[in-house]
Amino acid sequence: MKPRSLLPLAIFALALTAAAWRIPNPAPAAFVAPPPPAAATAPAEFASTLLPVAAPSAHAAALAELPDGRLAAAWFAGSREGAADVAVWLSLRDGEHWTTPHPIATREATAQATLAYTRKVGNPVLFVEGQRLHLWFVSVSWGGWAGSSLNHAHSDDAGATWSSPRKLQTSPFFNISTLGRAPPVHLADGGIGLPVYHEFIAKHGEWLRLDASGALVGKTRMPQPVRTLQPAVVALDGQRAFAALRDAGPGPGRVRVAVTDDAGQHWQRSAPLPLPNPNASVALLRLASGHLLLAGNGEGNRNRLLLWLSADEGRTWSAPRAIEDDPEISAEYSYPALLLARDGRIHLAYTWQRKGIRHAVFTEAWLNTLPGAQP
Amino acid sequence: MSASALYGWLAQAIVFGAAIALLPLGRWQRPAALGAIAVASVSGLAAALHGFLGAPSATLLGLALWRLLNGGASPLTRKAAWVVVGAGAVFYPLALGLGPFDPYGLGYQPWPLLGGLALAALVLWRVGAGAWLLLLAGALAAYPLGLFANLWDALIDPLLVAVAIGTLLKRPHKKKAPRP
Repeated sequence: MKPRSLLPLAIFALALTAAAWRIPNPAPAAFVAPPPPAAATAPAEFASTLLPVAAPSAHAAALAELPDGRLAAAWFAGSREGAADVAVWLSLRDGEHWTTPHPIATREATAQATLAYTRKVGNPVLFVEGQRLHLWFVSVSWGGWAGSSLNHAHSDDAGATWSSPRKLQTSPFFNISTLGRAPPVHLADGGIGLPVYHEFIAKHGEWLRLDASGALVGKTRMPQPVRTLQPAVVALDGQRAFAALRDAGPGPGRVRVAVTDDAGQHWQRSAPLPLPNPNASVALLRLASGHLLLAGNGEGNRNRLLLWLSADEGRTWSAPRAIEDDPEISAEYSYPALLLARDGRIHLAYTWQRKGIRHAVFTEAWLNTLPGAQP
Repeated sequence: MSASALYGWLAQAIVFGAAIALLPLGRWQRPAALGAIAVASVSGLAAALHGFLGAPSATLLGLALWRLLNGGASPLTRKAAWVVVGAGAVFYPLALGLGPFDPYGLGYQPWPLLGGLALAALVLWRVGAGAWLLLLAGALAAYPLGLFANLWDALIDPLLVAVAIGTLLKRPHKKKAPRP
């Protein structure tokens, strides 16, 4: 038997106490409950425009409304997807016009700030909290998108300048394979619930809980019987939320669903929606009326971009309404992002033929004028 | 630049130096290791390793520092390596998506982990494994310093499991039979 000194045990006990002292103690999980349903008053209107081109190849737009009412759009663009010159770009909509995009995250700046080799960047997510504009984006050091790590930066001057990005620790395996796509949800304690996904070996949705200081305090999986990606989440009340996921499984896909009734602490799979999903990203929004609006692609490919409405928290859905309907099967109108502005207008941004980002703005009244749109 | 970024970069340089110290360089072993740390830091190798492999766990960093500063027998004995490999064999498949339970999520509010470590510490103390008590204390101390958001990352990483596998694959030293 070796001699048993008390000194290592005492040092261990000291470290254990320090670790216990540091463990976060967040408030019980709760969403900021959405406002009660209200009748839409804005008249029917629709307008659509292409955003200024930042680079020849563009993809994966995200939207946010700034505190002063301007709209912000971010997307990644470069000579081609995954190229070294790809950056995350930001453009603001001032009145009717979009400003010239400027890069807000590059591989060089990310590598410098994180002290880690960075090969490419992508998938921005925008979110406004008070006066602060948050940006999450992925960076890859090796391999494809499955090798992504999640980074965070923020801006307090409407996107003109940004904090140094920092890498979030979200995965035990070389900290890879956490990607963001859809916007987060406000939590009642001032924190943020961020839907993300994992796609290394397995593919599934995940839910990150951040406290009011931005520290990660929880991570939960969204179980599904098939491979899924890119959860888009809306809160239905203080405890319940509905997540729509991209179907990355074999065969003709359908929009997959996960639900929570304890504010994201646990997620359960629900029956898939009777809506097609050709392994493509979807966007989800709760409208002022309380109806849910889902944007995604039709059966087969990404040449049709469709909208569906639900008046019963996602149990049944309207007939699809086409935003884009191209007979050319190789055409691509994909990766929609939805935003409800404070003036009641609905904004949609999406990848337009991988050449640019298209922005459409419309009202709930316009949605309801479409034949078959009444849910 | 965050403290965790600086840690990951510097720790990769040190682990690389410790790997160089494993080479049979005689009295040049330690100077070569220190040189390797310096070269890795300024050449971009540490940043590349940090990008490819993430931040090493504090446990692995502790073993690397043990190698560099002590030079004696590593606490990563065959018995300890079996424990590390066993833990990795259970933890990583579950954390990467095998089944609905994700043990990695426990590491953000790690009360159960601390309870398990307290029990493990008593066992380690009982068997006189003071070196491992110190290594685990170092990993625990890295957590309140803000170097890790998740306690699992302070304790274990795939590179540590790979080192443990390497330890098991090495042929064990045979004791020389006494001369007749």
